[in-house]
Amino acid sequence: MSAPLIAVSGLAMRYPTGRVALTDTSLALAPGELVVILGANGCGKSTMLRCIAGMLKPTGGSVQVAGRRISSLAGRELAEARMALGMVFQNAHLVRRRSVVANVISGTLGRHRGLAITLGRLPESERPFAMTCLNQVGLTAFAEQRAGTLSGGQAQRVSVARALAQRPLALLADEPVASLDPDAAQELMGLLRRLAHDDGLGVLCVLHQPELARRFADRILGMKDGRIQFDTKPAEVKETEVAGLYVKTTETLAA
Amino acid sequence: MNGIAIKTAPGHGAPGAGSRGDGRPRRRSALAFVMIFLGIALFIQAAIVVQARPQDLVTGAAGIADILHRSWPPDFAGLPDALWPALQTIDMGIFGTVVALVFALPLALLAARNTTPARPVYYATRVLIALARVVPDLVWALIFVTAVGLGPFPGALAIVVHSLGMMGRLFSEVIEDMDMGPVEALTMTGASRLAVFSHAVVPSVLPSLLGITLYRLDENIRSSLILGFVGAGGIGFQLLTAMNLFQYRTVSMLLIITFIIVMGAERISAWLRARIA
Ligand SMILES: Nc1ncnc2c1ncn2[C@@H]1O[C@H](COP(=O)(O)OP(=O)(O)OP(=O)(O)O)[C@@H](O)[C@H]1O
Ligand SMILES: [Mg+2]
Repeated sequence: MSAPLIAVSGLAMRYPTGRVALTDTSLALAPGELVVILGANGCGKSTMLRCIAGMLKPTGGSVQVAGRRISSLAGRELAEARMALGMVFQNAHLVRRRSVVANVISGTLGRHRGLAITLGRLPESERPFAMTCLNQVGLTAFAEQRAGTLSGGQAQRVSVARALAQRPLALLADEPVASLDPDAAQELMGLLRRLAHDDGLGVLCVLHQPELARRFADRILGMKDGRIQFDTKPAEVKETEVAGLYVKTTETLAA
Repeated sequence: MNGIAIKTAPGHGAPGAGSRGDGRPRRRSALAFVMIFLGIALFIQAAIVVQARPQDLVTGAAGIADILHRSWPPDFAGLPDALWPALQTIDMGIFGTVVALVFALPLALLAARNTTPARPVYYATRVLIALARVVPDLVWALIFVTAVGLGPFPGALAIVVHSLGMMGRLFSEVIEDMDMGPVEALTMTGASRLAVFSHAVVPSVLPSLLGITLYRLDENIRSSLILGFVGAGGIGFQLLTAMNLFQYRTVSMLLIITFIIVMGAERISAWLRARIA
């Protein structure tokens, strides 16, 4: 296995409310690999992605992204380290009043720090590159349409294109298919796999569909109550192991 | 006499409030009875305090008819002289709104819970905005007239400060209600904080903010008319002067101009707001 893109070790997260969302979680993500995380609601999947992305400060452990310890960075350094990570959320989070291509171009803002661009001008020089990103998700025909008028699946693909425009080394996707129909979900997972296998991106993806995970993942992580339960190849994951993730323990019932 | 009326209201209320504690089943209706009683008492003391005497309206009817008679027909000979103050009134509103807009936008970003850089900044700007808003524009105008002298400029300044308070508050509410998704997404691209504001926050909220500003422009033109009464120039000042000189035909002409300005501002503002929605 090549050197990991993302290395998480002993990660712990305790929210100010006192809720412990992660306890001693470790994982590694290599380039070219699509890893799917499965787990019941509230088991800490989003918390983990947010810690990896530097959106949350973990209360213990460390996160290394491309060799930089992101969990101890702040400000400008954190912003620069984040550029290696493209994030895809459950909802597309597009700026609805802007055109599709404008949304994709805004994915490149980390690389452009001029005054005019900081004050709201789009870096027009990135337009051709944004179009190639849109091409990857098959939406060049929609470039000039307002983002607010897209269907959920189209919007989600645009958000992937925006993440790609960032030229990331890894993609973090939190339930990216939650609002998509089965066909669109397959299509998006296929896209993520292609980005991993053909373009060498590391992809870490949270899903609630074990079938999709088995079909598309190179590796499946099972999470329960803030811990990694198992970390295996899809072919080796037993049905009972997956079912066990969703069995309510007293702890999760209380939550 | 007024003092007695004010005192009697809570005095009558007290026994009713006492009956609330006992008699559990009748508690709701007893409470309702007390509330109605208090409401009536409140209104009666208000009528006494404002010295409401409907009979005065009847005896005053002759006076009103007389004034109406003396204001007719409107004297349009003074129209050319009124045009410049009319423009002043409109421009006080425009100037005040534009300057307030320029300051309200950054202020609102600091005063919105989801975009403020730090808690103390949030509270400080909130207090500043509240202060600008709570003091009526008329009072601001009096302050500025004292500070910079008579004329339209103190009026414009009063409008700037007061609408800064109004717009700052409404803007920050719009920003707080905004969808934070795009902000989070753009933060993740490694963009700077300011770039996230201008590329995610501004495009999302701009139409609402423009709508508020246009509505405010309409309000400001209306209030700049009134500011003239305290010496802040414009058509309000003309109106006051004509009133003091008993030139009622000039007054009626000025009122017609006022009507046209207010209606015009209202229509144009509504039309523009409909266009950007
Ligand atoms: N901001 C927060 N403050 C306090 N507790 C939180 C916060 N965010 C999440 N939690 C708690 O942390 C735990 C893990 O939440 P998290 O969002 O990571 O779950 P998840 O695995 O993503 O669940 P889902 O499948 O529903 O998205 C939950 O018990 C949740 O209530
Ligand atoms: Mg989640």
